[in-house]
Amino acid sequence: MGETLLQVKDLRVSYYTYAGEVQSVRGISFDVEKGETVAIVGESGCGKSVTAKSIMRLIADPGKIKEGSSITLDGRDILAMSGRELRSYRGAECAMIFQDALTSLDPTMKVGKQIAEVLTIHGMATKREAAAKAVELLRQVGIPNPERRAQEYPHQFSGGMRQRAMIATALACGPKLLIADEPTTALDVTIQAQIIDLMKQMQKELNAAILLITHDLGVVADIARRICVMYSGKIVERGSADDIFYRPRHPYTLALLSAVPRLDLENKEHLASIEGTPPDLLKPPAGCPFCTRCKYCMPICQEEMPESTDFGGGHQASCWLHDPRAPRVDAPLYDEKEGRV
Amino acid sequence: MLKYTVRRFFEMLLTLFIIATATFFLLEAVPGDPLTTRAERLPESVAENLYHKYGLDKSTMERYVITMKGMLKGDFGESVVMPGYDIQQLLKETLAPSARLGLQCIIVGVGLGLILGILAAMFKGTWADYLIVFFSVLMISVPTLIFGLLLQKYVAGELGLFPIVGWPKGDDLWFGGWEYTVLPTLSGCFSYVATYSRLLKTSMLDVINQDYVLAARAKGLSEPQIVRRHILRNAFIPIITVLPMSVAFALTGSFFIEKIYSIPGFGRYFIDSIQAQDLSIVLGQTVLMAILYVAVVFVVDILYTVVDPRIRVGGRT
Repeated sequence: MGETLLQVKDLRVSYYTYAGEVQSVRGISFDVEKGETVAIVGESGCGKSVTAKSIMRLIADPGKIKEGSSITLDGRDILAMSGRELRSYRGAECAMIFQDALTSLDPTMKVGKQIAEVLTIHGMATKREAAAKAVELLRQVGIPNPERRAQEYPHQFSGGMRQRAMIATALACGPKLLIADEPTTALDVTIQAQIIDLMKQMQKELNAAILLITHDLGVVADIARRICVMYSGKIVERGSADDIFYRPRHPYTLALLSAVPRLDLENKEHLASIEGTPPDLLKPPAGCPFCTRCKYCMPICQEEMPESTDFGGGHQASCWLHDPRAPRVDAPLYDEKEGRV
Repeated sequence: MLKYTVRRFFEMLLTLFIIATATFFLLEAVPGDPLTTRAERLPESVAENLYHKYGLDKSTMERYVITMKGMLKGDFGESVVMPGYDIQQLLKETLAPSARLGLQCIIVGVGLGLILGILAAMFKGTWADYLIVFFSVLMISVPTLIFGLLLQKYVAGELGLFPIVGWPKGDDLWFGGWEYTVLPTLSGCFSYVATYSRLLKTSMLDVINQDYVLAARAKGLSEPQIVRRHILRNAFIPIITVLPMSVAFALTGSFFIEKIYSIPGFGRYFIDSIQAQDLSIVLGQTVLMAILYVAVVFVVDILYTVVDPRIRVGGRT
């Protein structure tokens, strides 16, 4: 076990809208060790991006991180930071890359200048040095002809190149933690693989930890060592990548896995989808949030939130099925008719 | 770029031709002519001579051809209402005060408006924002002439801080005699303050919600740095379209302010000469305005490419 870098404890984030309090994140805890990659997986609206923004302290009104939450990086309390501390933390110790690289780059500023900006802001280089470093960074992330490219504007870059430029910006100051919020969602599949490879390679060179936020299990499989599965503001299952992919314990994880397109299955088969919609977080349910969509739902599921069950090796799932009082069956069976578990 | 400029130039000529023609026939369609009232009081032979002198005894089409031919040589004809004046002479005497007033209004009004706009956007939802919005609405809804009269009565009349009427002459025409220009500039700048503060505020709020602002924050930039380096540049794009139009509009004078403060400017002749059907002056004004506006549109196109690189590239990628 390595040294803990990021520790999130009982994080609760709510958005106070006219309709009422939307509880986006409802008490989640996880940690990231130095140099490792942790993925948070879940469908849209499950609170994974809000979690990422909370770590950067980028939650804007009407959102609020609630009392009692705690986020520490290297033992320093992020939530207690002053404006000045926060500015030297953002971008330098903890950097973030966003889903849509086109809209995340300023259209009126040259790409090289946008990368150099983060260096000069943090006092790591003079203007001239920063410009040279920006070119170097562009080269490192695999952009051909970086001297010329640094003088170009974001609209002259292709989608993959923009994401590379974003990665260059994020890594410019050598952060300890890189938060990647759906970094490959807006890209073609082939480019996705390249970006993931690039992230892996840069991680090795810089020994940075990566917190990967995604809804795409295919992306996760390639890079993450540990995975947290989020559903309606809670982590429902966590474990190593092997645990999640080969020994899933929560019906939601199971359903997610069966919704991943597979090449080894017959074309005739329909891709499984999860029926129904996640619960309204304006009025979060008392019981398990997944119960309305769960094949294995029991009466207790609707009334009380299950405790998390530990399966050893850091593998935990919150499901009543694993309560000692639950009816025993073997792990969900391979269904002959459906062709999958 | 050269091809574009040349094309624009010919388009401009065509536009001017159409505008001149339209002005001529519209004025022609109005009943009566510039001499009608005067001719009634004159002996018939004198009236006939007058009509002949200004060419008003010829048919409409003949006069159209004569007017257009004259325009090609820059000759708009002599004013009927002000004997001895043609449009060039009138401009020479009256454009300077109008242009100075207009420029002062623009500089003060737009400058103040942009500052207030930034403040309103940065302090959105606070009392500062509401105060700025309140005054913007007030400034844009109350007509210039009301402000002009109020300032004249109270600030100049009762407090006696500034001259009531008048405008610097001679050596002071462009620089100097500032005390005369304070109140006219104030009354004229309010509408710009209102327009530009609201324009910049909405434009900034639009930009503030963009992802690249969030990304800039994630880079560790402070709020003032974000505003200066990322928000303003992007928020100015819509301003660039409107600003040159305002300048063109302001340069040609303001009817109300010039009347109220007895400024020997060009703006007053706008309406006077139309009422008098004084063709040469109206035509001259119209063509001047048209040239100004077409030129401004051209300048806007160029400016756009300077501010927004997405437009600049054109053939390069």
